[in-house]
Amino acid sequence: MQLTNNEKNGKPVGRALAAATCALLGVQATDTLARDEPGEWDVETALLVYSETDDRVQAAEPVISATRNYDGDRKLNLKLIADTLTGASPSGATPSDLPQTFTRPSGSGSYDVAAGDAPLDDSFKDTRVALSASWTAPLNRDYTYTVGAYGSKEYDYLSTAVNGSLSRYLNNKNTTLTGGLSLGVDIVDPVGGAPIGLSRMPLKANKTQAQFDQEFAATRESDDTKTLVDALFGVTQVINRRTLMQFNYGVSYSSGYLTDPYKILSIIDDASGANYGGNLIESDGNPVYLYENRPDTRMKHTLYWQTKYMLENGDVMDGSYRFMVDDWGITSHTVDLKYRWKMDKSYLEPHFRYYLQSEADFYKRYLTATEYNGGTPTQSEASADYRLGELTGLTFGAKWGYRFDEDRELAVRAEYLIQTNDGDKGFGKLASQDLYPDTNAMWLQLSYSF
Amino acid sequence: MTTISVSPEDNPAKHPLPRLTGQQRSWHGRFEAMASPCEILLDGVVRKDAEQALFHAARETWRLERKFSRYVSGNPVDRINQSKGEPVTVDDELALMLDYAAQCHELSDGRFDITSGVLRRAWRFDGSDHLPEKNETDALLDLVGWDKLNWQRPLLTLPKGMEIDFGGIGKEYAVDRVLLDLKRSLPEGSSVLVNFGGDLACSGPRANGKAWIVGVENHRKLTDSSETLSLRGGALATSGDSRRYLLKDGVRYSHILDPRTGWPVPGAPHSVTVAAPTCTLAGMLATFAMLQGAGAERFLEEQDVAFWVQRSAG
Repeated sequence: MQLTNNEKNGKPVGRALAAATCALLGVQATDTLARDEPGEWDVETALLVYSETDDRVQAAEPVISATRNYDGDRKLNLKLIADTLTGASPSGATPSDLPQTFTRPSGSGSYDVAAGDAPLDDSFKDTRVALSASWTAPLNRDYTYTVGAYGSKEYDYLSTAVNGSLSRYLNNKNTTLTGGLSLGVDIVDPVGGAPIGLSRMPLKANKTQAQFDQEFAATRESDDTKTLVDALFGVTQVINRRTLMQFNYGVSYSSGYLTDPYKILSIIDDASGANYGGNLIESDGNPVYLYENRPDTRMKHTLYWQTKYMLENGDVMDGSYRFMVDDWGITSHTVDLKYRWKMDKSYLEPHFRYYLQSEADFYKRYLTATEYNGGTPTQSEASADYRLGELTGLTFGAKWGYRFDEDRELAVRAEYLIQTNDGDKGFGKLASQDLYPDTNAMWLQLSYSF
Repeated sequence: MTTISVSPEDNPAKHPLPRLTGQQRSWHGRFEAMASPCEILLDGVVRKDAEQALFHAARETWRLERKFSRYVSGNPVDRINQSKGEPVTVDDELALMLDYAAQCHELSDGRFDITSGVLRRAWRFDGSDHLPEKNETDALLDLVGWDKLNWQRPLLTLPKGMEIDFGGIGKEYAVDRVLLDLKRSLPEGSSVLVNFGGDLACSGPRANGKAWIVGVENHRKLTDSSETLSLRGGALATSGDSRRYLLKDGVRYSHILDPRTGWPVPGAPHSVTVAAPTCTLAGMLATFAMLQGAGAERFLEEQDVAFWVQRSAG
């Protein structure tokens, strides 16, 4: 005789037994396994203040991120970031033994740089608002997917992206395989329009306004777009109860307008090492500066390896190494180390990062008059942007966090960065100029989550 | 490691005192009860709360052990078993338990029966080939059968010579009781797993949102856990014990006895593990499945629960 589901009292056994068990325990009947109550929003707020020395870039960045847990597995995350940047950033021109005058990106007005000073473009002000949303949910016991969208707006830049990823869990979730894809379209709308790459920066001196305006218009092209495709493949492996390891390979392809519309290069006279121009060319009498030009595609490959290890006492060591190589000729290495000291309700986490980068093939601190070639440059791409040069960065910092209770945490993070550039030291008069000033920056972040 | 002091009146069986290990906000409490190692795992609570929780868990488990064990003379179960046919008044907790036993008896068509303990007198599952005589078991069957009792809440009348035994419910019930108490008393955001010798229940995922990793014992190997699974909520319970059987003429007689025949259920699995919202329900479904013998898997499939059935190879 079999027990079947068309039971006495018209109830299947399991259902009736569940009801009886609830009566015994004095609890509400549930049809499924215990699920989390739909949770509340978990909110993280942070304010980052970033400051480079020597009146360079200053930034303030408030962030608010909210995550809603629908049950243990399904999450919605919304994030809002606002940036305010002010200050000056290196334009790419070389310092000179003479004062220099540059046209502002908008074409209206100019700014002067004293002799021996690094040419910084101080017309640099920006406010960015970024919004992102992502949804994570399981497909079944072994698969989880994430879909998301991102958008950000600055007055000269609009960025949009959609992304998705799929994770597969293996051997009791000790191994996770993740594949992800992100597609983005950015619209670049620089102040005054995008300059034509490697065209000469028009200068107002010794010209009528009409002449200048005509010249300026001749160097402009319409705004431009770029598209980005990123793919990522990663493996996360639980090595043992205390060790977690992650290995990622990423490939990123961008195409379109990849040039920085505000960066320029100085043309240097081959013989003297002084700025080329003046009486050497035409009747203009001004030094020559060119707008930079970069390739219109870039393919990057990244390998990333991270290990987290928890010590007996609950402290956590976290180390990672990233290797990046791209078809612009840049290779970079990043080593990042953190150690988290656990105390009763707080933790202290010192942080160290070392970054090393080689220069791009088309990186030039300046172009010579020979390379300028009377306005038909001998190379199709050139940039003096220090971020594409050979550089070394050292970051030291620490984070201190305090947990009030299970939900609320306050943290303060302070970091100091010393970045040194290196490269061609110049010749003649240029050799006495500091072509590679260090970038020192510090930032402070205050975050609170509840 | 901290030892939690419990007063002697709360520890009538003189168990070793509960021990707490752990740090920060993650704790592991251990004690003994019901012939099993008992443990509670706590996430997201401070030491003081963890000590308090372990104290309550041990005290409550020992209270239930004392109350429902058939080996403690003078406790309610013993008073019923010694009542010689006289009506006994029971308290609410025991009444709920008897109601539950009545429902389980009915839902299992008489296969689950808290009066079947007397059959143990004929069956000694020691791995030998000693089978009892049929007349021996038939005689004992006169003393088996829930329907021979008169249960009119709060009065229970048990015919002389019969016995009741909550062994098939007590441990799982204690797991649920302790978990319910801890869920009520611990602060928001904490998470708890209660595990009494492999029968376990948890309040939800761990404080970090991850699942609890639980071992499912492989009864064929008799070793440590051979399979692990992730538990995000609810409970697991296991019925069965491969160390207890008889073997005669190549036939294996499991220790799962059918109270309607007095003989082992044919084709009973070595063990059945079931996942369900509560430990009591998981344990009862596992027991029902065992009592189905060869039909254990089919029964469980019809109940729409996650389950693991161990059978001997071949």
